[in-house]
Amino acid sequence: MKRTGFLFDERYLLHLPFEGHPESPARLQSIHSRLAVSGVLDKLILINAEIANQRWIEAVHKIQYILRFEEACIMGFPDFDHQDNSICRDTYEIALLAVGGILRVIDEVMNGSLDNAFCAVRPPGHHAEVDTAMGFCYFNNIAIAAKYLQKKWGVGRIGIIDFDVHHGNGTQHTFEGDPTVFYYSIHEHPSFAYPGTGREFETGKGEGVGFTLNSPVLPGRGDDEYKAMILKHLVPAFDSFKPEFILLSAGFDAHESDLMSGVNLTTQGYDFLTDEILKLVDRHTGGRLVSILEGGYNLDVLPILVENHIRRLADI
Amino acid sequence: MFISGMMAKEPVTIHPDAQISEARELMQVNHIRHLPVVDGSGALVGILTDRDMRDAMPSILLDKESYEMTLAKVLTHTVREIMTKNPQTIPVYYTIEDTLMVLQKKKVGALPVVDEDGGLLGILSTRDLLASFIDVIGLGEPGTLLCILADDRQGQMKKIIDIITEEKISFGSVLVARHWDKDKRAIFPYLLTNNVMNVKKKLLEKGYELIDPMKLYLSQISQKK
Repeated sequence: MKRTGFLFDERYLLHLPFEGHPESPARLQSIHSRLAVSGVLDKLILINAEIANQRWIEAVHKIQYILRFEEACIMGFPDFDHQDNSICRDTYEIALLAVGGILRVIDEVMNGSLDNAFCAVRPPGHHAEVDTAMGFCYFNNIAIAAKYLQKKWGVGRIGIIDFDVHHGNGTQHTFEGDPTVFYYSIHEHPSFAYPGTGREFETGKGEGVGFTLNSPVLPGRGDDEYKAMILKHLVPAFDSFKPEFILLSAGFDAHESDLMSGVNLTTQGYDFLTDEILKLVDRHTGGRLVSILEGGYNLDVLPILVENHIRRLADI
Repeated sequence: MFISGMMAKEPVTIHPDAQISEARELMQVNHIRHLPVVDGSGALVGILTDRDMRDAMPSILLDKESYEMTLAKVLTHTVREIMTKNPQTIPVYYTIEDTLMVLQKKKVGALPVVDEDGGLLGILSTRDLLASFIDVIGLGEPGTLLCILADDRQGQMKKIIDIITEEKISFGSVLVARHWDKDKRAIFPYLLTNNVMNVKKKLLEKGYELIDPMKLYLSQISQKK
């Protein structure tokens, strides 16, 4: 069994989009109660959130954007930058708590108190751009985590894997010119799915060419295509890049029962993804992996997928 | 939609008596493949394409010395000698649809745009047209494509649009495949949102079928056979 951290905080439920919005507090509630009932929670090391220092947010986002977001929440606006990004007065603080919790988890993994961790956070982050909120995301949690690993802990090469069914445009754009952060994403083909980026010819810019890799999957292709892409694209790329730390944008919305997408990945398909990522982690990072929740909107299936994912991380 | 907004205005032009060397430099510096040829009175007398240029150039299979010698000779000839005369033009009031049909029929890469007296106003290349289509399809903006199968009856589109509008979702574009199936239409709304869950639920509740785009792909393949 591994020392696996579980980042969760009741305050993550306070970000309240409009009634009926898929990115609802019920997502985290369903995950938490499933882990509690199944007994998995007892085997994890619980980490609580803290407010992130703004200077870490500024490592990715423009200060004007951060202030604009805070103001939109304080003023009680219904949404921010696009109607998808439904907000309430607490959203700004909860987004800071999501980032702050993740940074605390990274400290625990880097100082050796944890082997790996799953971060059950809201709001998600991988669509958030330097100065624009997109696709339910405000602060790019995983991009900030990677900058923190570079600047605070001096980690040389960071691998980001993103298996959310939507392409992580914000994360890709943050690191497309940076050869020290490898961004790999597998997602539904951008002609069919949000946000319309992540085509196979997007491979980085300038010095970063060759350190961005995208595997778009056509609708309905399911497990076989995912398995082929992971083995053909991700595994050789990371074996050659040799990341010292792996961050995972864990979105569970590629599942066949999730109405947000059409790629038809099964529960076993998700198990395969986690297993292959753990093999990479064992080979290259000495076990260091921080998995961060992104999407996943079917409330009956999301908790099952998360539990399976965490069981594998914790080796239980 | 009219072409006047998407053509390149005040295009780079050349005089028919100019040397080929000058034309070559203009095309290289401006990254263009089509150079309208305009005489002293401003009338369009031809178009010089990269194809015309390549036809005039010495073969790369020549040895270096013969190549250089031939090239030097070629470059001193005039544009008039190699240009395409009487080029296909389009009037400035043409729509994208008109232009598409002309391009397809005449198999050219660019069309000079002229006023009623034949004076050159601009030039429209297939690349400009591609850019306008990327815009029309809404490709530049983040969104999700829905694939809906509906009966080929009046009022179906309104119902679908009402459902989408109720969810306060904006449209990027709507494409319709008319002969998808007997008595059916395939409707493809491109929605400028990530939040398609509720709209999909409502469409399913109202009895619409959401099609698997891969089935469409496979049916297209079998039709081509």
